[in-house]
Amino acid sequence: METLAFLAYVLYLAIIVGGGFVAVTNPNLVRALIGLVAAMFGVAGMYFLMNAPFVGLMQLLIYVGAISVLIFFAIMLTRPPAGGEERATSRRRPLAFVAAATPVVLLGAVCLRAFKQTVDVPAETGIKELGQGLLGTYGLAFELISVVLLVAMAGAVLLGFKRREEA
Amino acid sequence: MNSLFLFHLAGLALLGLGLFGLVQRKTLVGMLISVELLLNGAGLSIVASAKLTPADDVLGQLSSLLIMGLAAAEATLVLAIILVVLRRFGSVETDTIATLRD
Repeated sequence: METLAFLAYVLYLAIIVGGGFVAVTNPNLVRALIGLVAAMFGVAGMYFLMNAPFVGLMQLLIYVGAISVLIFFAIMLTRPPAGGEERATSRRRPLAFVAAATPVVLLGAVCLRAFKQTVDVPAETGIKELGQGLLGTYGLAFELISVVLLVAMAGAVLLGFKRREEA
Repeated sequence: MNSLFLFHLAGLALLGLGLFGLVQRKTLVGMLISVELLLNGAGLSIVASAKLTPADDVLGQLSSLLIMGLAAAEATLVLAIILVVLRRFGSVETDTIATLRD
């Protein structure tokens, strides 16, 4: 990896780790959401760095544009009257650390040993090839994800209805 | 230390942060934020694996798009479930909603 790319990588990694740390530890949920958005921007930068601009743009559109707004709605609709703070959780932290560190160490060892990198500079795949794959080889997955999105939307609307006798 | 492992390292960082948050957070909204971190890490690792090995590049990028679609569907449903739980229990803290039936 060249020096400039490595510098960009370190910058994006710092954004990801910093944002993710804020997202999981800040007791204020709105600040946690801002951290999550920062981490998503870092991941989009990683996509651009590995020569996948289409996925990077989709990351910005879907995650930063849509999902963060959904989570913001969830925060606003559930905010308790006395501020949206979570109570301090000191007892669970060590257990949570163990639960997170174990799979990371195991999978890190696997990644370090098992996967061999063969391509130095990732080749660019045009949107044309992606579209052909989406409608040709992987058409079933494309149709299935649209059905999943439709069902999720219908289910959310159904769950959101208040029953008339309750209201 | 090749660049494939460096990209996997970023994915692993997201995995660790997401799992940590998932266990440690006390409200459903906080857990939703952690799950989004986990899914981001998964997409990043898949694209890195497809880009830097002989694997099919189109497959990797489309898998990442699939994950984004699943994440959108999941966030929608979790938002609806959070609203139902809030109406039923008056709170979204996991300690309060630990009963299955009463």
